[in-house]
Amino acid sequence: MSGDTQMKKRGAVALGETHVSTANVMATPNAAARFWIITMLLILLGLATLKLR
Amino acid sequence: MPGSRTCDAAAAKWGVGLMLLALAHWLAQDIRVFSVLNYITLRAVLAAMTALFISFLVGPMMIRKLTAYKIGQSVRDDGPQTHLIKAGTPTMGGALILTSITITTLLWSDLSNPYVWVVLLTTMGFGAIGWVDDYRKVVHRNPKGLSARAKMSWQSLIALVVAVYLWRHATLPAHTELIVPFFKLVVFPLGALAFITLVYLVIVGSSNAVNLTDGLDGLAIMPTVMVSGALAIFSYVAGHAVFAKYLGIPHVPGAGELAVFCGSIAGAGLAFLWFNAYPAEVFMGDVGALALGAALGSVAVIIRQELVLFIMGGVFVVEAVSVMLQVSYFKYTKRVYGTGRRILLMAPLHHHFEQKGWKETQVVVRFWIITMLLILLGLATLKLR
Repeated sequence: MSGDTQMKKRGAVALGETHVSTANVMATPNAAARFWIITMLLILLGLATLKLR
Repeated sequence: MPGSRTCDAAAAKWGVGLMLLALAHWLAQDIRVFSVLNYITLRAVLAAMTALFISFLVGPMMIRKLTAYKIGQSVRDDGPQTHLIKAGTPTMGGALILTSITITTLLWSDLSNPYVWVVLLTTMGFGAIGWVDDYRKVVHRNPKGLSARAKMSWQSLIALVVAVYLWRHATLPAHTELIVPFFKLVVFPLGALAFITLVYLVIVGSSNAVNLTDGLDGLAIMPTVMVSGALAIFSYVAGHAVFAKYLGIPHVPGAGELAVFCGSIAGAGLAFLWFNAYPAEVFMGDVGALALGAALGSVAVIIRQELVLFIMGGVFVVEAVSVMLQVSYFKYTKRVYGTGRRILLMAPLHHHFEQKGWKETQVVVRFWIITMLLILLGLATLKLR
């Protein structure tokens, strides 16, 4: 059993969200890019608050 | 009847035929909060988010369909050996981007604005060329796809139609001038031939440059997202009489609406990156790359920022130039020395760095970083002139 799988078995709290993603078959660059995309989406949401108030 | 709530009245006032803009104005007659959708900036942000969510919803289904129909990418055998494992990855994912951009633009844009239709139809036209090329390659298993001559002819036809349209509908001298970044007083008035040639070169050039850049996972889409985001800012400023005058750039009435279109490109592109990030689940194919390049080029020519596009899309430019230099030098040395010699280890440029030992993801992220720097430089031209 790989270290990643062992850590996963202990429960989600043992891992940061990024590592949960990579432990679940997602490649590291893939997980990183998706977190960037989520950040950009949140930035768009933040910018929208300039007008939506 | 005064105060009667009809969509026709709203459409007449806002100059739109249908879609969310008219609906929002109709609702705003009773609920004031909806009048906030009058603002281009907000609609651009909402367009980006809408495009993103449409792609997220449709993307997984489209990838499953492409896989089921075995619409898989063939990998060139003279390319890097590490890319052979990519063979069979679903391609033509650009159709997802185009679907998302089209729906979003139709929803959030002012459809009475002719510039919206110019950029949308140009994008669709180039997408159709790419689609035919991809379809012949992956479905008909014809490795040549659409012949280079046919592809160039169709691209030229669309670009020339756009160029002639823009020339005929230019209302101010500034709409046909070549603006030089960083120099407020250096402006070249263009005659019909020069203007049409410039527009043609920018649209066809940017389309093919993005296509050449689309060789690594995420390499083409992220710079496209960043450039479209920057062009959204330029469009907004160009369409705003006060800002345009203050910053000393040509005022193009109606160009602000292109910010909504650029927002939809950015949103659709970001969502596509979700599936296209290394290791890619889907490639955009020519249908996406040709269309996105043409979209950026057509926005740039409308807002008269061709040279700024040249700066911000520097990665695309360098990739295209690397191929031209490599091919030219190879042909020249073959004629002179009998054997062809190469400038780069492999063209386009991203393959050269792979051959030098960089990992694919390193090349991609470093090219993104360079694009970010170039975009900062491009945005600096707003003030530094």
